Amino acid sequence: MTLKNEAKLASVEEIQQNFEELHYICSLQIATAVFLAYHLEKPILIEGPPGVGKTELAKTTAEMLDLECIRLQCYEGLDEAKAIYEWKYGKQLLYTQVLKETLAEILDGAKGLTESVAKLHEFGDIFFSEDFLEPRPLLKALKDPEGCVLLIDEVDKSDHEFESLLLEMLSDFQLSIPEIGTIKARPDRKPLVFLTSNNTREISDALKRRCLHLYIPFPDAALERQIIEARVPEVAEKLRNQLVAFIQELRDMDLKKVPAISETIDWARTLILLHTESLDPDLVRQTLNVILKFQEDIETVEAELQSVTNKALKES
Amino acid sequence: MDRTLVDFVKALRTAEVKVSPAETLDAMHAMNIVGYEDREFLKNSLGLVLAKNPEEKETFDSCFDRFFTFDKFQSSMSDEMEDDTSSAFDDDGDFDLSERGENQQSGKGGGQGGAGGGGQAEADLEESTLQPTSALGKLLMSGDRTELTIAMAEAGREVEVNQIVVFTQKGLYTRKIMDAMGLKGLQDEIGELKAHGGVPQSKLSGKLKKARDQLREKVRDYVEKQFFLHADESGKQLREELLKKVKLSNLEKRNFKDVQEVVFKMAKKLIAIHSKRRKTYRRGQLDVRKTLRSNMQYDGMMFNIKWKSSKVDRPKVMCICDVSGSVSNYSRFLLMFLYSLAEILPKVRSFAFSSDLGEVTELFENSNLEDAMSKTMRDYGNGSTDYGQMLTDFKNHVLDDVNNKTTVIILGDARNNYGDPKAEILREIYDRAKRVIWLNPEPRMSWTVGDAEMKKYAPACHQVEVCNSLVHLERVVANLLKSVS
Repeated sequence: MTLKNEAKLASVEEIQQNFEELHYICSLQIATAVFLAYHLEKPILIEGPPGVGKTELAKTTAEMLDLECIRLQCYEGLDEAKAIYEWKYGKQLLYTQVLKETLAEILDGAKGLTESVAKLHEFGDIFFSEDFLEPRPLLKALKDPEGCVLLIDEVDKSDHEFESLLLEMLSDFQLSIPEIGTIKARPDRKPLVFLTSNNTREISDALKRRCLHLYIPFPDAALERQIIEARVPEVAEKLRNQLVAFIQELRDMDLKKVPAISETIDWARTLILLHTESLDPDLVRQTLNVILKFQEDIETVEAELQSVTNKALKES
Repeated sequence: MDRTLVDFVKALRTAEVKVSPAETLDAMHAMNIVGYEDREFLKNSLGLVLAKNPEEKETFDSCFDRFFTFDKFQSSMSDEMEDDTSSAFDDDGDFDLSERGENQQSGKGGGQGGAGGGGQAEADLEESTLQPTSALGKLLMSGDRTELTIAMAEAGREVEVNQIVVFTQKGLYTRKIMDAMGLKGLQDEIGELKAHGGVPQSKLSGKLKKARDQLREKVRDYVEKQFFLHADESGKQLREELLKKVKLSNLEKRNFKDVQEVVFKMAKKLIAIHSKRRKTYRRGQLDVRKTLRSNMQYDGMMFNIKWKSSKVDRPKVMCICDVSGSVSNYSRFLLMFLYSLAEILPKVRSFAFSSDLGEVTELFENSNLEDAMSKTMRDYGNGSTDYGQMLTDFKNHVLDDVNNKTTVIILGDARNNYGDPKAEILREIYDRAKRVIWLNPEPRMSWTVGDAEMKKYAPACHQVEVCNSLVHLERVVANLLKSVS
């Protein structure tokens, strides 16, 4: 497989560096996954709690390689008409209407039904050719002349049937359309496929077997500090250490939804807007709704706010 | 290296990481790309290919570390060897210095010619020129730990130490490996040296002996490690298989934890099978109205025919458990099983009785199993069993909630202490419920012996089963799920 910016995928360190330039700070595992996905030509199945940068990884990879990122958002009831292809029914109808007269001319002189049909057959399946095919994300990704990054987001939300539909695409990079035949990706332009899952249900073994499996956990303090530094460079170092320490404390608490990286970033931005220089309990209380999304959680944390804040301040 | 990878995959499988042959092939491809120079990189890469969920990743990590620990092992070995050689010299004379320093000194000693220390040094010199002849002896004395480790690993492979099953085989495999490494040659040499009787000879034989004992220690360690890697988990599997078959009343408290694990595993399997929501419902009769409506677009031609379909609901399970002494263990595991299936059996109501019936649904939903069980025992466990009273209570309080979607499971030995069985109430339940299943832990033969009332109850049940081991339980629950999905 050769993509145009292949050099950027030459080694794991290279990938890590290139990601860093695009403000995506990643662990060694993540970079290794991208490296292997490219060299083994295998899709990556990314799992992890929401907000740790699963989708972002695919987007950043596309940006790094300067490729198009084709995204397929999964939901219950997603079927092949939405994911692979659809016949342009309207266009087919319109063309038959417009061509009615031409058809009459062609059929001119033919006697009987058999002869007319035989004559029509000479034109082949014009109405079921690629001109009347509306490609959907999966097909688009296969046919992309440059190669592309295909992001199949939240696979766990789709039905079991759809999962099985993906198998052909993921193992052989090909799709079968009954009327046309099998469409294959160019061997040197296979798309880089990322699948993400929030683990709302177990993904089938068949799908897992075809993928590299990457689990992205919440980052440790050092990594999170780096991420904040890359994403919100305006935050002063002192505040950054404090807020990361605070979030790390929260993650150890028994909450319905613990704050993820995206919440940390949002919070950092909020604090910048409020011209904060250092954390204090009052300020935290006011901005708690940025990092916690359930009233219960907010109440739980508020009760222990003082101690958690102090701990965070001490640690940083 | 391929062979090593296959061995590693085998170790992973015994540690319950499911690795398919296709994934093994992928791992080989990955290895070809990654190479083995960078340990962390290799570990990450293999982890991506072989372990497919967070739990498996954890197991993978520990397995990888255990499997590829040769370098650590080497250094510890060389340390000890070094210690040993230096201490050996300590015994000879007072040389605390390294070998080279010692040689220099001994040279000086020879030059001075006279002092007692010098004489000893000369002996040392002579000894160091006397080299062992057997292959293993040479290896041991050469001090090349890497070679030694490799030799050991190769010998281990030769005798197939990865086939080790039970811990009593450790001694056997240790000896086998020692033999494969050429222990016999070494023994012979030691014997010969001793027979020779000279001072340097006996010294060398002593050294060789010491080295041999150390090597044996190391090999034993190695076998131990292999045992943990290859057999520990398979032993566990064996135990689990046994636990599934053993009579639940014979289980002792210390086994409960293991049993719980087994139950969860079985439940997980059932969930995996039954959690898939089926879209195609059972097809019923022709639905005229729907058909007419949907065919209006075709000018009323009956083109697209619609059928009445009935959606199949998950069963509402009511579980009545005898918690008197003799049957309490069975109840415990039935309830454990049912509540482990919460994901696919959301509506379980449970009742406990020995004489009076009480609902314990909330107890089980809100607290962990152990607590709930002990509380249930405390509240309902005393008193003699009275099935008649239980059925009366059930009729008074719960019977109204029983409808044609309810499955009632009764677990008990039907030993009614010669009281009134009130089988007619069970009949009433039978008429209303979808299914009534009676699980009896006693063997069929004793169902009619003594105060057992099974003969009266059985006709009012859809299904009567002997149920006294986890295998039975699993079968019953699987059937329960199958009849509905």
